[in-house]
Amino acid sequence: MAAIIEVKDLYKTFQTKDATVEALKDISLQIEEGDVFGIIGMSGAGKSTLVRCLNYLEVPTKGTVLIGGKDLAALTSSELRELRSKIGMIFQNFNLLMQSTVIDNICFPLLIHGTPKAEARKRAEKLLETVGLSSKAKAYPAQLSGGQRQRVAIARALACDPRILLCDEATSALDPQTTQQILELLRKINRETGITIVIITHSMNVVREICHNVAIVENGEIVEQGLVEEIFTHPKSRAARRLIIEGKDPDQWEKEQEKTAAHGSTVPELHEHRRIRIVFTKNSSYEPVIANMILTFQEPVNILKADTKDVGGVARGEMILGLSTDKGISDRQIAYLEERGLAVEDITDIAAEAGVN
Amino acid sequence: MTSNEINMIIAGVWQTVYMTLVSTLIGYLIGLPWGIALTVTGQEGLHPNRGVYRVLDVFANIMRSVPFLIMLILVMPLTMLLVGKTYGSTATIVPLVISAAPLIARMVESSLNEVDHGVIEAAQSAGASNLQIIFRVLLGEARVSLISGATITVGTILGYSAMAGTIGGGGLGDIAIRYGYYRYQANILWTTVILLVLLVQLFQFIGTMISVKMDKRHN
Repeated sequence: MAAIIEVKDLYKTFQTKDATVEALKDISLQIEEGDVFGIIGMSGAGKSTLVRCLNYLEVPTKGTVLIGGKDLAALTSSELRELRSKIGMIFQNFNLLMQSTVIDNICFPLLIHGTPKAEARKRAEKLLETVGLSSKAKAYPAQLSGGQRQRVAIARALACDPRILLCDEATSALDPQTTQQILELLRKINRETGITIVIITHSMNVVREICHNVAIVENGEIVEQGLVEEIFTHPKSRAARRLIIEGKDPDQWEKEQEKTAAHGSTVPELHEHRRIRIVFTKNSSYEPVIANMILTFQEPVNILKADTKDVGGVARGEMILGLSTDKGISDRQIAYLEERGLAVEDITDIAAEAGVN
Repeated sequence: MTSNEINMIIAGVWQTVYMTLVSTLIGYLIGLPWGIALTVTGQEGLHPNRGVYRVLDVFANIMRSVPFLIMLILVMPLTMLLVGKTYGSTATIVPLVISAAPLIARMVESSLNEVDHGVIEAAQSAGASNLQIIFRVLLGEARVSLISGATITVGTILGYSAMAGTIGGGGLGDIAIRYGYYRYQANILWTTVILLVLLVQLFQFIGTMISVKMDKRHN
């Protein structure tokens, strides 16, 4: 499949009164048609600026953005507006017209592109059905819950039958259950229409839930990108590893780090252990690997965490172990696990930093 | 009060209402585009333009800083040119419009600036042009605030119109000056005051009612 979104050597700098802020540095990425692509990073990492460059709400300082092979910089303003109708966008705060009814909100993009009123209405009603809100056509956004408002926003974003849907922290203002429902809806739309979805988020859970590919953004740069499954199993960059261990949101992680720094860890002796993270794939789940390892080495291990996570619809077992302080033994233990086809990763440094215990 | 005086007061009420409403209407024909232009060219606007904003801004400030009573006298040549006389309620509309327009521009500017930037961004992401955003987003979303502004404007213009009574501007203010002040007829003075209060109350009531009815932001 061809790349529907192609970003090449993108830079964005903001000029404030007394400083130049480099929001994006040398970003390059390709998003395939029909993909669900996540862009994850902490707040202030530049991911919102990045997504706004994809429809030129922000004009990059340098570099190119190609949508369906078209260079956005080469378009006239009316061509750009026309193209934008093919790139839907939803937001953290929904951004609905508060003084217009649900149906009028959905008609808005259609009407501004010259669709006759009756036709726009018909299309809007169909979209309302898709998002499961047919009964709310005449309601005003203020009368709806957050999840319902986001459904309206999704219907509006889909009004002009776009090929791409940009989601800027679309579930960040919603509770976990509503987040699930919205992600489910996005998944369904992706499956049924083949629309390409770009998801900006600070939550690893969202990425794991729905994305096929992910780019991790830190300080305005992409530090790692690839298949979610691959990055979940073998994270390479520090940011990725921090995001994945415990599946914590980066903001939360920061906070805990501060807390640990302030109070010291509650179980300091555990830091002497070597920490590893292992991920079980389907095949490795049959053999009682950990038990066998303990029997083989006659050396106890400390199970710090064990969990199964749903990565793109596949269950993945994840475990964090504290191994012996003896490097000779722990090296052999790791080799033993790797022989059995497990993905093993030394996370001693990161775990110590964040106080996983 | 004689029946002549009563008839005069009734005519005064109509003149006041006439001056106020016509001035507000014409004032908005000038002030609304002016306020929109201020919002659009402002620093955070849809199409920032420092030069244009500066001119519109300074011009509004200058006009706003001339007291109405002085404005009445200053624009007399223009009034003469447009209406053919400088007294009576139709003549008073000229200085009223000139004083009200920059006030309205400011009201409109502040109302439109209240519109959530995210909603504008959503419209832009849907491919709306600036003109479409002005008419379909800004004016619609700010309508409650715009109506409140218009209500305040009507009250202010009504007050100004009474002031025009000092130079023969017609309406209730004129009657209050001539009968209440020059002839010490307290009963007429108080009647006009009460009628002015009632008029302000009435306009305020209508304005509030419309804006409450229009506001869909609350459940």
